[in-house]
Amino acid sequence: MTASLNDIIEAFQSVDAETRLELLLDYAGRLPQLPEKYRTQAAHDLARVQECMTPVFLWLEKDGDRLRIFAEVAEEAPTVRGFVSILIAAFDNHPCDEVNQSPTDLVKQLGLDGQIRMNRAVGLTAIHSRVRRAAA
Amino acid sequence: MAVDKTYAHPDMLVSTDWVNEHRKETDKYRIVESDEDVLLYATGHLPEAVKIDWVNDLNDPVVRDYVEGEKFAALCSKHGIGNDTTVIFYGDKNNWWACYALWVFMLNGHTKCLIMDGGRKKWIDESKPLTKEVAKYASKPFKAGAKNPAIRALRDQTLAHMKANKAMIDVRSPQEFSGERTHMAEYPQEGVLRGGHIPGAKNVPWAKAVAETGEFKPRAELEKLYLGEAGLKPGEEVVAYCRIGERSSHTWFVLKYLLGFENVKNYDGSWTEWGNSVGLPIEKTYQPA
Repeated sequence: MTASLNDIIEAFQSVDAETRLELLLDYAGRLPQLPEKYRTQAAHDLARVQECMTPVFLWLEKDGDRLRIFAEVAEEAPTVRGFVSILIAAFDNHPCDEVNQSPTDLVKQLGLDGQIRMNRAVGLTAIHSRVRRAAA
Repeated sequence: MAVDKTYAHPDMLVSTDWVNEHRKETDKYRIVESDEDVLLYATGHLPEAVKIDWVNDLNDPVVRDYVEGEKFAALCSKHGIGNDTTVIFYGDKNNWWACYALWVFMLNGHTKCLIMDGGRKKWIDESKPLTKEVAKYASKPFKAGAKNPAIRALRDQTLAHMKANKAMIDVRSPQEFSGERTHMAEYPQEGVLRGGHIPGAKNVPWAKAVAETGEFKPRAELEKLYLGEAGLKPGEEVVAYCRIGERSSHTWFVLKYLLGFENVKNYDGSWTEWGNSVGLPIEKTYQPA
């Protein structure tokens, strides 16, 4: 668990369900731009998260003992975009061992499991798992 | 493109241009956006549209069923929908969720429902107005009426339908139909134990009914698909199903209102019920290599 993630979980848990969705939408609007070097078809072919409902592309790289995360998610999928943006805020440039040990029930800890149907929550969990595996 | 007037019930569809002209007549019409993504409405929507969410508004939280009676009436009231209000649905993914919401409204006996052909995609492609401001309307009394069970097939009705060798359309992907996969590509884990389809069903993936613009295909092309390839006979009794009843409500709409099959039912239990049920037969055509 990283300190950043702790803060995010606290923020999500301290508000009601409707405000939680607004927070998620805020994160969706703050997904960092994909660096130029990843914007090729070949780079995308390898980065696709197959388990997810929406086209989600993740680039996960170790930089020393830290994990770097870059991502691309369609604007038509703000829920997934928001979740990926949270993962970046929580884990990018953080120590790999902390990322790897983050809670596997993150979607639930953020309080999003009530509003998102089970199978969609599984897609988000798959994205998180991939990030955790990359940090192992 | 204007709505194809040769459809069986072309009056069930309105074009994006028509909606743009009439959208301010909020005393007569209520425009409803229904999307797969719960946050999409908040990123920008048709200025007069309210949001109805399939998970948070239409599904009963306790029983595997849809809201009905007082709960359904409260949902309508809250959005200023009275019994005389015509509801115009549109949404993402080729109006997939819009058709689902329309079907739930019809099931609850509210028949004054229309679809905006082309949905969210066409509206945005045409650079028509969008806003992030949530539309709010004074609540209106809504009296819950008699339900309309004729458009829904339950498990045992579907079983009887199958035993009578009547027509069935499975609208899932060919891989789900054959049993190779138990979920739609990219939509994992919908909890089905067995892969395959209901014996006797024909496979017509739902999105084949949609043109590139997001609008429904013209009648002649739909006939080629459902009467030609799938071999349905005009007017025969049909059951459509998918995995949880959402994709098949899109096909239900096509068969009933565009092609004029009066007796078509959506089996909303669909594969997540049938594939898991004790005692029900399946057909699996997929053979692992």
